Amino acid sequence: MIELSGVTKCFNSGKPNRFTAVEEVSCVIEPGVVTVLKGPSGSGKTTLLTLIGCMARPTSGRIVLSGFPTLPPLGDGGTGRVDVSSLPERFLTGIRRATFGFIFQHFNLVRGITVLENVMLPAYPTGEVRGAVRKRGMELLEMFSIGRHASSRVDSLSGGEMQRVAIARALINNPSVIVADEPTAHLDSRLSREFMEIVGSFRSEGKTILIASHDPLVFDSPLADRVIGMRDGRIVAGAPPS
Amino acid sequence: MRKSSAFILVTLAGAAILCGLLLGHARYGQARDRESLEAAAALAGSLELTDLCLFTEACYTRHPAMADLHAPFQDHPLALEHFPSGSLLTPPPFPARPHEPAH
Amino acid sequence: MNRLIERHRGIIDFACSSLLRRKGKNISLVLVYTLMVAVVASVIFFVQALKREAALILKEAPDMVVQRMVAGRHDLIPLSYGEKIGAIRGVGAVHPRLWGYYYDPVYRANYTLMARGDGGPAEGRVVIGSGVARTAWIAAGDLLTLRSAAGDPTLLQVDAILPDSSELVAADLIIMSEPDFRAFFSFPAGKATDLALTVANRSELATIAAKIVRQFPDSRPILKSEMLRTYESVFDWRGGMIVVILGAAILAFLIFAWDKATGLSAEERKEIGILKSIGWETGDVLLLKTWEGAIVSLTAFLFGTILAYVHIFFFSASLFAPALKGWSVLYPRFSLTPAVDPYQIAVLFFLTVVPYSVATIIPSWRTATADPDAAMRS
Repeated sequence: MIELSGVTKCFNSGKPNRFTAVEEVSCVIEPGVVTVLKGPSGSGKTTLLTLIGCMARPTSGRIVLSGFPTLPPLGDGGTGRVDVSSLPERFLTGIRRATFGFIFQHFNLVRGITVLENVMLPAYPTGEVRGAVRKRGMELLEMFSIGRHASSRVDSLSGGEMQRVAIARALINNPSVIVADEPTAHLDSRLSREFMEIVGSFRSEGKTILIASHDPLVFDSPLADRVIGMRDGRIVAGAPPS
Repeated sequence: MRKSSAFILVTLAGAAILCGLLLGHARYGQARDRESLEAAAALAGSLELTDLCLFTEACYTRHPAMADLHAPFQDHPLALEHFPSGSLLTPPPFPARPHEPAH
Repeated sequence: MNRLIERHRGIIDFACSSLLRRKGKNISLVLVYTLMVAVVASVIFFVQALKREAALILKEAPDMVVQRMVAGRHDLIPLSYGEKIGAIRGVGAVHPRLWGYYYDPVYRANYTLMARGDGGPAEGRVVIGSGVARTAWIAAGDLLTLRSAAGDPTLLQVDAILPDSSELVAADLIIMSEPDFRAFFSFPAGKATDLALTVANRSELATIAAKIVRQFPDSRPILKSEMLRTYESVFDWRGGMIVVILGAAILAFLIFAWDKATGLSAEERKEIGILKSIGWETGDVLLLKTWEGAIVSLTAFLFGTILAYVHIFFFSASLFAPALKGWSVLYPRFSLTPAVDPYQIAVLFFLTVVPYSVATIIPSWRTATADPDAAMRS
């Protein structure tokens, strides 16, 4: 479960171009379900995702993670509740690496290296034995039917194949939470539906999924358990009381 | 093969060759040449030589140990500087007055 | 421990990938850097080897040589000085030395002519150095023709050629008998070029020299330690061209490091952003950049130094020969004995590897420490 209380994120504070991306957001992201953040561009969805995913810290407010098996027993006596809004970067990165898997809008794959290397990349600095990581990577590629591309460069793949590489990469460290930012932006309808099916399979494995999208195929899908509407950095619909 | 393995192997091979040369070959070379160096030293001793034959262009480049501060001027007032020996051979580190402690 | 090794190996993997991605640029970088290291290391090895040989060969040089100066020029010394010097307490023996220079107009080479009394060649015969034999195309048994001071051609039979091992000290020598020498140069009787002294007690050298100068104010005694010090200063770092070469090399090193240190391309910046967004910490990114620098500089150091060693000790410094030969026609064949100064090699290692690896971190610092959410926005 992810609890947000009064989370605010300001950019360039103190300067004339000060800009509040997220304002006083309070909500609860339930574990094991698919939550969709819906809203037009500029509504602060992406910023909220970065805050939840421990990529940035909020200007004010609290974000508490609990109940994920990958959380270290910090904080209150082993109950697994961690306030990530005030953790130093060292611990934040460890939590992020183990708990979250990101799928970016533009895929963010590294050009010039192979597909398999891209998938294994998040695990390189952890010191895990290469053989095990490689095996997991191949399994993930097979799972998404792109095993035959393992040794190809990413530049030679189609949009749909690239997205599957991005998904496989997000899963390499076996995270509990999958975060996707506008995943269907570069996909046609067929591929978008296939993507939602993959999301469904994650849910049946017990993973928590968080998607930001303004694509009706996503937020109107039957798989979307909860839809939170956002506008101008605030929640306007769908958030249960925290 | 993993790229890091290839790099580590190449680096270790290079380091091994370098150590082999610097330690092994150097020692071997010194042992091999010891006799000829001693023969050269004996010759220098019997002929009472004071200098190595490195640059044979001028008297002060051929016998720098015998040369003094005036030696380069003895050739010719308009003599061109011998290159590169002139740049390599610094004036003798002798004190201005002989047999005072050198600075 | 295993985890640490695996972590570094993983990062080296990606560093190699990154370097190989810009193959052309990085390969030429490694090549140029290797060449630079090779030049500097060649100078180090060359100088070290010569220094060692000079010290070994010249340890048999005379304890003291006494010259005579007239009007600031080296003039001939009367043998009577020698007799009086021989009487000074502490002086073992006084050997007058007869030697001089001869310019051969045919081959435009300078030879050093020496007279040797006992044990030397008979009258009319000479022993020549291997450099003379090479320059004038002479073998043992041939006739050597020299023009005497009076202008007459003098024919001398070559008895023997000095062995190759003596190249460094005797390549340009022509050794003849004393009567031949005096006749050839119209050398005034009762004089010698200089005097070589044997002194038993080393600590008395300075005192004896002072006494000689007091007795003969126009004399100039040269101690053995001063002769050796001349060669030490020739091979010293502070000497002439060596400083220039080193200065140029250090400048080149700095230019490389500066080029690395001044900026990251947009592509590299994006890549760091991606790495941070998929879970790499700042420390991981900086380690990656350091390894990128270290891979290039380590390779350059190892292969540059190996190249330099092979150049100096297997190929006798053939690339330096034209530069060092200068105007000389007669140039000794260097076959140097390997001599290694580990301190200088260590300094070269640190200068090659450390600044470059560190310089690679500088431009990446800002990007590496930025929050990863920047990647989300790209």
